[in-house]
Amino acid sequence: MTIRTRMTLWYAGVLLLSALIIAGLSFKELRERHDNIEEPDDSLQDVIALICWIGIPAVILSIGGGWWLMRRALAPITTLTRAAEGINERNLTQPLPRSGNGDELDRLTQVLNTMTARLHESFTRIRDFTLHASHELKTPLTVLSGETETELRDESLSPREREHALSRLDELQRLARIVDGLTLLAKADAGLLTLNLAPVSLDELVRENFADTQILAQASGVRVELAACEPLSVKGDAHRLRQLLLNLADNAVKYNQQGGSITMKLSRSNGSALFSVSNTGPGVSPTALPRVFDRFFRGDPAHNNEAADGCGLGLSIAQWIVAAHHGEIKIESLPAKLTTVTVRLPIC
Amino acid sequence: MRVLVVEDEKKTASFIRKALQSEGFAVDVCHNGDEAMSAPSATPYDAIVLDIMLPGRDGLSLVRQWRQSRNATPVLLLSARGSVGERIEGLDAGADDYLPKPFALAELAARVRALTRRGSDNKSPVLRLADLSLDTVTRQAHRAGREIELTTREFRLLEFLLRSAGRLCARTMILEKVWDYDFDPGTNLVDVYIKRLREKIDADFHPKLLHTVRGAGYVMRET
Repeated sequence: MTIRTRMTLWYAGVLLLSALIIAGLSFKELRERHDNIEEPDDSLQDVIALICWIGIPAVILSIGGGWWLMRRALAPITTLTRAAEGINERNLTQPLPRSGNGDELDRLTQVLNTMTARLHESFTRIRDFTLHASHELKTPLTVLSGETETELRDESLSPREREHALSRLDELQRLARIVDGLTLLAKADAGLLTLNLAPVSLDELVRENFADTQILAQASGVRVELAACEPLSVKGDAHRLRQLLLNLADNAVKYNQQGGSITMKLSRSNGSALFSVSNTGPGVSPTALPRVFDRFFRGDPAHNNEAADGCGLGLSIAQWIVAAHHGEIKIESLPAKLTTVTVRLPIC
Repeated sequence: MRVLVVEDEKKTASFIRKALQSEGFAVDVCHNGDEAMSAPSATPYDAIVLDIMLPGRDGLSLVRQWRQSRNATPVLLLSARGSVGERIEGLDAGADDYLPKPFALAELAARVRALTRRGSDNKSPVLRLADLSLDTVTRQAHRAGREIELTTREFRLLEFLLRSAGRLCARTMILEKVWDYDFDPGTNLVDVYIKRLREKIDADFHPKLLHTVRGAGYVMRET
């Protein structure tokens, strides 16, 4: 129940109660007078008529008036709520509009504004931290992998030492990919990445990607089908779009099962390009679904040991690329049946 | 072949020097941007490995200066920031190649070698290695007289590998040249394609021509 309804009901209750008290008192008064002059008793009818013709309309009018007054009084709160609802991590610097008349609501708005400003500061600090951390990690990583490689050039290394060094190098390269992914996302968050926008024929990219996916899927006996590929052109960054398509395809292969299948589709719908990749893997549980775009999120760890080879940032990067192209990405999953990632991009 | 390495981080500079020396290059190292400024005009280098973040003058302004003074020594930029924008900025400033940190040492060496060979690449339309030949005009491949069917991607891959025969092709270089990717997708795409290519050109033949250099990439050579 909203405050407005609740207050209107209380107000109506109080009015009704006072009307009843007044009616009762006047009835008693009339009755006494009547007893004194001993005339035929029609005071009850008088009172009932009075209540019907004047009392009830008066109460209804007051309730209506009260509702209107409440609405007026609470309107600034509604406006404030609506403005506050529009706050997200990207527009924290935009303050809520203040009335400037110094009333309770104006003070509340001011408090909210200070709060979002503090939030913005924390967001910026976290972002800067990730950016600096990923940057700082690169020098020691370069030194470590460079020295490991130098070590590997030594002919006198025993097979065991060589195997150790090679395994270390593999892990260092994985670490490097994670750091790369983090840098990319931290820069995207800070708005430091720009896209090279140009008309890109999306169907061509999809067809290329389809060929690559077929090759990637072969090892696990997964069938790949291109169900539709309409000629479509979007305004985008070809490199990033390729990265997006490969990310999605790679996921569809990794999270599939032996002998499963992948279906890709590119079509036009309501003036947008719609690209989807479905796979027949074990899928994502409904509880994990909203979190798959989170950084480093891995669903059920028991299911995807193999997929853990990746850097855990693929879908987050995909989400950034889509958002940077003013598109939308979503994932749907019927566990053990079909998992579909759909990307919608504006057509140029 | 003489290479100048401009890198302020001592350890990094040291293993780059060792790696390039073991590849047969003579290497000079410089730790500071201001010192590096006049180096290419004093000594004729065949290539320069240049870090972007340097004390004193930074890498980008160094390249600009050298290009302005008509010095065309090939430059490979190294950077820890590694973003697409920076790569474009670096190439616009006049650098010839760009390698983000952390990099594989083998790849750095391969790129430096590629830079020093620029222009002297094999331009013949038919590429050959042992009994393998690839006609880049008709897109036909033959090994020991037998014709080999190749898809477009496989053709481009083989062409790139053959053009750099005897030299290491790092995964990222293959992704750049054959796929036109400017990022490491973190998939085994290249490895899977190499495996298929191997089945076609190497499986039934001797000697094997396509070799893996673990942790670094691939190389085509007779032995």
